[in-house]
Amino acid sequence: MTDPDLLELADESPEALYALLEERGWGDGLPVVAPTPERVDAALAGAHADEVIAVLPPRGGAATRRAIAVNAVLAGCPPELTPVLVTAVRALGHQRLNLRGVNATTHPVAPLVIVHGDAVDDLGFNSGLGAFGPGNRANATLGRAVRLVLLHVAGARPGPGDASTQGQPSKYAYCTAESRSEWPPYHHSVGVEAPSAVTVHCGENPHNFHDMESGDIERILDKAASAMATFGVNNACISGGEWFIGLCPEHAATAHAAGWERGDVADYLFERARRPAGEFRRQFELLSWAGWMRDAPDDEMLPMTQEAANIRVFVTGGAGKHSCVIPSWGMTRSVTLPLAP
Amino acid sequence: MFHDRLSAMTIRIHAPVGPLADDSPQLAPVAPALSGGRIGVLDNGKPNALVLLIRAAEGLAERIGGRVVAVTGKGPRGNAATTCTPQVLATLSKEVELVLTGSAD
Repeated sequence: MTDPDLLELADESPEALYALLEERGWGDGLPVVAPTPERVDAALAGAHADEVIAVLPPRGGAATRRAIAVNAVLAGCPPELTPVLVTAVRALGHQRLNLRGVNATTHPVAPLVIVHGDAVDDLGFNSGLGAFGPGNRANATLGRAVRLVLLHVAGARPGPGDASTQGQPSKYAYCTAESRSEWPPYHHSVGVEAPSAVTVHCGENPHNFHDMESGDIERILDKAASAMATFGVNNACISGGEWFIGLCPEHAATAHAAGWERGDVADYLFERARRPAGEFRRQFELLSWAGWMRDAPDDEMLPMTQEAANIRVFVTGGAGKHSCVIPSWGMTRSVTLPLAP
Repeated sequence: MFHDRLSAMTIRIHAPVGPLADDSPQLAPVAPALSGGRIGVLDNGKPNALVLLIRAAEGLAERIGGRVVAVTGKGPRGNAATTCTPQVLATLSKEVELVLTGSAD
């Protein structure tokens, strides 16, 4: 377990690195930073390199601090992001997240990393305009590093280790940060009372919904509900699935001004995002439903998840009135952990 | 001299894969012969998988002169997204030489 497995490379040119990656079946197809011992040591910052943070399926790779640091360097992460990446990998190892299933499924699921609290500003994450998009080193490289850990340590290469039929763009990098809002930070709502935290939610790409004209939160959330109430997502036939609702700050402010807390948003969507039981039955032969849903008559309106607590609300983005819903893969649960080195 | 200069240009980098965990899964050894073997079917829970798997198992049994002796699901609350229970694995290990299963749609 302690063999650092150093490789000799002719030089540090992109061509030499590409050739090595291709020969070994490594990388995500984009240029990488050479993980020299000096850079990896900087990312480790004196931590015990052989400590195993998690064991990642399907390969059964030991995500040691060194392996995590190597992938952080490859992705271009500055060393100060290592604790965020280590915390995200710790979350990936949680049984409830079901990483084996996440990697094995034909669904396009990718782990979304959400950074909360003081770390957002302290480490330079973008929680504002374009928070899911390009242009910020912390968001881009942290998300990419998570994917490289999955490709290399977990062995989640398309084909032998990742069966996703089409994949999705967020399998390159999927990281955002929580905006400050009038509500307490998201991680406090799930019982993590730390200054900073990291959530990993294994889901689809964000599904946008917009409302540029409404002053009442119900009308805004009705659009979120309509984006949720589709039969095309795994959560439609798996009632235990979670939904992450990424409200933009302006939509969140409208909710707060009306006296709504996060839970009120979740309760409203639980009531409004519904389809008749009979329609579900016509669409699916296999329904992984809670018992109370199985007994419902065909004309009863059933929710898109079995309890309101499965609808998780956080705030991200900048000016404008676009928000999103992020359905899960279904057989996975999000994990929120305090940021820890 | 040239060789020395070339050597000086090389760099060392860490491999990104890391070690395997001590208890990482290993492939089972290949059975020496299937002739007359006992075959099991492990339903992965996907639609129509059981129909396909049983047909395939029966076809294989006919070709090798074997028997389909066990057809099982993954255990209580098992589904396509979960692994099967240790009990199911232990039973199949004891009762059959070959298991047909699947993980896709």
